[in-house]
Amino acid sequence: MSSAREWVERIRVLDLPRPLKVMNVCGGHERSVTMSGMRSALPSSVEIVPGPGCPVCVCPEEDIYQAMQLALREKVTLVTFGDMLRVPVNAPKSEPRSLVEARAAGADIRPIASPLEARRIAQQSDRPVVFFAAGFETTTAPVASLICEGVPDNLTFLLSARLTWPAVAMLLESGESGFDALIAPGHVATVMGPEEWEFVPQTHGIPAAVAAFNAESLLAATWSVLRQKVEGRCFLDNCYQALVRPGGNPLARQQMDQVLEVGDANWRGIGTIPASGLGLRSAYAEMDARVRFPDYNEAGRRRMGQMPPGCDCARVVLGRIYPNQCKLFGKGCDPRHPVGPCMVSDEGACRIWWSGQAA
Amino acid sequence: MCLGIPMQIVDIDEFTARCTAKGVERDVSLFMLQHEALARGDFVVVHVGYAIQKVTPEEAATAWELYDEMIEKAEAIEGSRHA
Repeated sequence: MSSAREWVERIRVLDLPRPLKVMNVCGGHERSVTMSGMRSALPSSVEIVPGPGCPVCVCPEEDIYQAMQLALREKVTLVTFGDMLRVPVNAPKSEPRSLVEARAAGADIRPIASPLEARRIAQQSDRPVVFFAAGFETTTAPVASLICEGVPDNLTFLLSARLTWPAVAMLLESGESGFDALIAPGHVATVMGPEEWEFVPQTHGIPAAVAAFNAESLLAATWSVLRQKVEGRCFLDNCYQALVRPGGNPLARQQMDQVLEVGDANWRGIGTIPASGLGLRSAYAEMDARVRFPDYNEAGRRRMGQMPPGCDCARVVLGRIYPNQCKLFGKGCDPRHPVGPCMVSDEGACRIWWSGQAA
Repeated sequence: MCLGIPMQIVDIDEFTARCTAKGVERDVSLFMLQHEALARGDFVVVHVGYAIQKVTPEEAATAWELYDEMIEKAEAIEGSRHA
């Protein structure tokens, strides 16, 4: 494989028709782009834009609120990936405004790093355990796998699972996508197969390439999509052949299909995206926390579903603005005192850019 | 959250593998990779405790070069913040 320097040189000699924007839709990609200093090495006519690549950032505010209420009022043990703990909800100041604040108020809320830990905690507990699971395909597949293998009766799931490609389809169909080419997510494609991204060149005439997470692969994908632009062609390239195979991981997809079904889903600050969410099939209703427990999102709750006041995370997620174009970025919003979810999650563009500035 | 880490299989007990990377050992579920022939010494990419795909030793080494670099930078940032 060529070195990063060689890929940059190849990109530099391309005769681009105009300045071009290349979007990535994966927090891991954005972290690597930012930390490698790739942006400053590329010609000024090439912009790498972070797009919808952070599942925690788009997790519905009402789902986080519901998770907090289950832990506070139903006295369940709530387990969730650590990234979710500090994401703020729009509750009055007198009430807990994040899972970590609910925990300080006495709720049993535990961060986990794997669905296997959710099962272990449930096996060791007499209480109901709710696994609040937000994630894209790569994270949702293991949750489905866990359910297929079998879970104890006291474990239920509050799923906020989202599919990556429908958000890109929504941007492309909006008529102002804000990008000229796409770098498709490597580990999503590892599980689901690269074919999911063929609609980008085939339906929309936009070049696309799947990339791994190292600078060389990301630059190879960037060069591939730019060269497609120069040559007036477009197709889906695969710059991560070591892992991304046709059809992805067939067993993982089968397990997802067995327990999950696709439905319209809400993205925080963005709204409903058709066929972009995964929920438990009715055959698995007994382990669905949405079925087993009352919905605590009373109608008319103030700012329900919205981003926090003044926060521009929704436009950051959609790649409409860069993180540092939000007026709160670094001024009242930083990882120690995050206002919006993009500054909380390790995959949030704001958090990544804030870390990158200090690098 | 969608970033998998390559690990080497040390031992397999049905659908659970003891895996190692950088001196850290973890139990990893092979439930999503039942269709792959896996043996001690093989490398898999692990995401949230689940092996999502088998990889070659070369690919595992390449991925670790990147993660080492990212960890180094993250530690440098944390160090400067706490200094």
